[in-house]
Amino acid sequence: MNIKNISRQFTYDGKAIQFKEGDSVLVAFQRSGIHPTGGGCLCLAGDCPHCIATIDGISYVRTCQVLARKGMLIESHPPDGAPLMSRDDWQEPGVIARNIYCDVVVIGMGKSGQNAASEFAHTDKKIVTLDAQAGQEVVGIYPGPLVVARTEDGMLHVHPREEIIVASGAAEIHPVVPGNHLAGILTARAALKLAAAGVKMNHIVAIGTQPEGLDAERVVGELIRFEGNERVEAIVVINENGIENRIKCDTVSIGLGLYPRDTLVRMGHDMAVRAVGAAAREADIPPCPKAGTVCHCANVTVEDLESVRDLGFYELELLKRGTLAGTGTCQGGICLPYIRSFLADKGEKLQPPFTARPVNRQLTIGEMAAGSYHHTTPRTSLDAEHRQLGARMERFGGWWRPWNYGNILEEYWAVRQAVSLCDVSTLGKMLVSGPDALELLERLYPTKVSTIKPGRSRYALLLDERGYVLDDGMICRDEETRFNLTFTSGGSTFCELWVRDWAEFWGLDVRLLNQTMSLGAINVTGPLSKKLLGRAGLDDPPNFLHHKTVMVAGVECRIFRLSFTGETSFELHHATSDSVSLWRSLLKLGSDLGIKPHGIETLLTLRLEKGHIIVGQDTDFDSTPRRINHNWAVKLEKPEFIGKQSILRTNKIPLNRQLVGFEQDGSPPNEGAVIWKKNEYAGYVTSSGFSHVINKSVMLGWLEFFNNELPKEVIIDGRPAYRVSTPFYDPEGARARI
Amino acid sequence: MPAFKVFPATRVVATPEAINTANWPKDSLVLPLALDEVLVLEKINSEFLDDPHSIIVSDTGFTGAWISADVGLEFLERCCEWELPQKRPAFAQGAVADIPVKLWFEEDRILFLTPGPYAIALENRMK
Repeated sequence: MNIKNISRQFTYDGKAIQFKEGDSVLVAFQRSGIHPTGGGCLCLAGDCPHCIATIDGISYVRTCQVLARKGMLIESHPPDGAPLMSRDDWQEPGVIARNIYCDVVVIGMGKSGQNAASEFAHTDKKIVTLDAQAGQEVVGIYPGPLVVARTEDGMLHVHPREEIIVASGAAEIHPVVPGNHLAGILTARAALKLAAAGVKMNHIVAIGTQPEGLDAERVVGELIRFEGNERVEAIVVINENGIENRIKCDTVSIGLGLYPRDTLVRMGHDMAVRAVGAAAREADIPPCPKAGTVCHCANVTVEDLESVRDLGFYELELLKRGTLAGTGTCQGGICLPYIRSFLADKGEKLQPPFTARPVNRQLTIGEMAAGSYHHTTPRTSLDAEHRQLGARMERFGGWWRPWNYGNILEEYWAVRQAVSLCDVSTLGKMLVSGPDALELLERLYPTKVSTIKPGRSRYALLLDERGYVLDDGMICRDEETRFNLTFTSGGSTFCELWVRDWAEFWGLDVRLLNQTMSLGAINVTGPLSKKLLGRAGLDDPPNFLHHKTVMVAGVECRIFRLSFTGETSFELHHATSDSVSLWRSLLKLGSDLGIKPHGIETLLTLRLEKGHIIVGQDTDFDSTPRRINHNWAVKLEKPEFIGKQSILRTNKIPLNRQLVGFEQDGSPPNEGAVIWKKNEYAGYVTSSGFSHVINKSVMLGWLEFFNNELPKEVIIDGRPAYRVSTPFYDPEGARARI
Repeated sequence: MPAFKVFPATRVVATPEAINTANWPKDSLVLPLALDEVLVLEKINSEFLDDPHSIIVSDTGFTGAWISADVGLEFLERCCEWELPQKRPAFAQGAVADIPVKLWFEEDRILFLTPGPYAIALENRMK
C-alpha cells in the first residue's frame, strides 16, 4: 500500500476503504462494490434511505451527501432495528444555532433557485439563499415562519419576513416491483453520476427515460421484477403483447419519471411558501404497484397496503397512519407516488400528497436542541446564603428555595420556641395606585377592601368568574389610593396578568407595578421575633395585621405583621441589594436567642398546624370558598366582585365535599393518600405532616359528604383518622398576636 | 465577558401622557418598558412627572453589564429568536436564551439587563 492511498482512506465496519478526491462516501463505497444498506435502488441525491450509515458516531447519515474524508469511521446500520445511540454523546459540545433575519429565503441554488434569487437583485430586499450543495441542508419549515438548516458549523435559524421560495428540484421515482431490495439498482441520474466518477458497473441495462451519455443496453417494456441473489442479475420486463423478457445484467438504470421535492412546500402549506422550477412541476404518477416493497423505511409491501385499505383506510392520510408508510427515514420520498397511484387505481381519485411535518432529515439531539435552553428557575438574592448554610435547595413555587438546612426539628422548634428566619422573597408583590385603585380591588376581591384602613392589611382570596379560588394573599393599604398586594410564589405571574387584564377591561385609572423580582422579603417569626427586631433597632414594631416603613439593622424595610407559621411574625420587604446584609445581621443578632433559618419543609408543617391552605396543593380547579371552608373571606353583601354571581348560585346547591382537617396517630400518610369510609371512597389527603406540638399526624384533605354529613371517622393509610376542626394548633390565634 | 453588577434604578409607572411629557434628568438612561412604565438608570423623584398617582420606586432588582457590540451581537445572534432593532440607540426586551432580558443598543456597546433572580443563569449562558 503506498502512502498516497493511505491519505485517502476511511474505515467501514473495521475495513479500510479507499476513495478518490471528490468522492462522496457512497461513490467510494460503490468503487469497492459496497452497498451500505445491503440493497435497494440508489439515487445519489439524498432522496432515498438506501445509503444511510453511521459516520463518526452520527447515525442516519446519507452517505451520498457526504464527501469522503481521510480517517472517517463509518459503520453500517443493523439490518433490523435502529443503530445504538453513542454513550459518549453527552460529552459532545452543544450545537450552536444562529438566527438570521431576511425578507426572502431561497432554498436550493440550482438554475431555478438562482433565477428566483435574481428577481430581487435590484430591490432593497434582504435575500438569504440556502443550498444543500453548499452545505446548508434545510430540514424544516416551522410557523413563524422559521426555516431551519443544518450546516457543518451548526444550525441556521432563518426568519424570513415575506416569502420562502423552494427550488429544491425533483426527485427520481424509484421502482416498486419484486426484487427492488437488491443491490445494483440505480436511478438514471445516479447511474450517470457513477459512470462519470469512473465507477465500474459492468453490464448496465437501462429502462425508462434515460439521460444522455450512459453506456447501457436499452430495454423496452414494463418492468415486472428484478432477479438475483443479494445483487441484481437480471430484470424481467413485459412487452405490450404480454410477453415476458428476461435480460441479464450487473447493474440496472431506472428512469420512471420525476416527482417534485415538495416536502418543504407541504410543511409550509399555510405560510408564504412558493415552489419554483422542478419543485413546482406536476408529479409523474407511476403505474399502480402490484408487488414488492413500497416503503423501505417502514418495510411496507403492496400486500400491506391492500390489507390496510381493506379495513376501510381509503384516505391517503389514513393509509399512511395504518401502515406507517412515509413515516420513516426518507419521509415518503420513495413511497408517496406509489401510495397515491395505489389508491387512484382502487377507484379513489388521485389524492393530494400527505401532510409533511418538520423535520425531514434525521437530526442529532444536539441539532434539535440548538438554540433552545432549559427553562430557567429564578433564585432569590439570598440563594448563595442558603447554599453556604448547607441548605438542600429544591424548585418550589417556580423558584429555587431552601428545602431544609439539615435539621428540620431544630428549624421547627426555633420557630415555635425561639426565633427563625425564612426567605419569602418569592412571594408575588404588586403595587396598585391611582384614583380607581380601591374600585379595582373592590371588584377583584370578595373582601370589603374599603374597610381596610391605611397601614392595615387583610388576608384575601382571589376568585375567578366561576367563584373558584385562583390565589390568595394579602391586601395592604398604604394610602387612600395606594395598595400593596401579595400573591403566592407560584401564582404571582398569573395574578399580575389577571389584575392588569381586568383593570384594562374596566378602563380604570390605575398604575400597576409588579415588584416580585425587585424586592427581597424575610419573614422573622417566633416568640422571640420582637426581641430580635428590637436588637435590630425596631423598638416599635407594628401590631398584628399592620404595616409600616421602618429601618431594621440599617436597612429600609416595609414591615408587614401577619402570620403564616402561627407565631408572632414580621415580613420585612426590602431592596434586593440589601437582602444579604439584612439576613446576616438578623442571624448574628439572634445568635444567642437560638435563631435558625427554616426551609420550606418546616414551613409546610408550621402552616399545616395552623390549617392554612396552599392554593394549588389543597385547592382543586373547582374549589369555591365554601368548599374550602373560607366563607368568612367572602362578603356577599358587597355590590359586586368577580365570582359573586357564581357563588350565589352554587351556594344553593348542597355541598358534596369539603376541605377538612384530620388527626391520626403515628406517622403521616403520603399526600394524595385515599380517604376511605369503611369500604367506600371518601376523598384524598392534600397536605400531611407530623405535628410536634400535638404529637400526632395532621392533615388537610377533601372529604365527601355521606347523607349530607361529613363522616367523623375515616380510614387513611389503613389506619383510623379523625376529622377535627382547624387550626390544629393555637385555634384562637393568640400566639400570632403576642 | 464583564462581570454582572446591580444597576441601581428607578421604576416609574404613570399615565402614558405623563411618561411622554416627563422632563427626565439630562444624560439619564430611560428605558421604555411599557407605555406607562419606564426604568430610569439612576435615582430620581417625582418632580419630573405630572401624575400625582404615579408610582416611583427605587429599584435594585436589575443586574447586568455593558458588553461590546460585537460580543453582544454574536451572543444575540445565537440566543435571540426575535429580530433585533437595527437603529442606534435602541431599546428592546424579550426572551434571550430563555431569560427575560432588556437590551439597550448603542453604536459600540450593548447594555444587557435582567431581573436579579435570573442573573446567574444569564451570566452562565453568556460565557
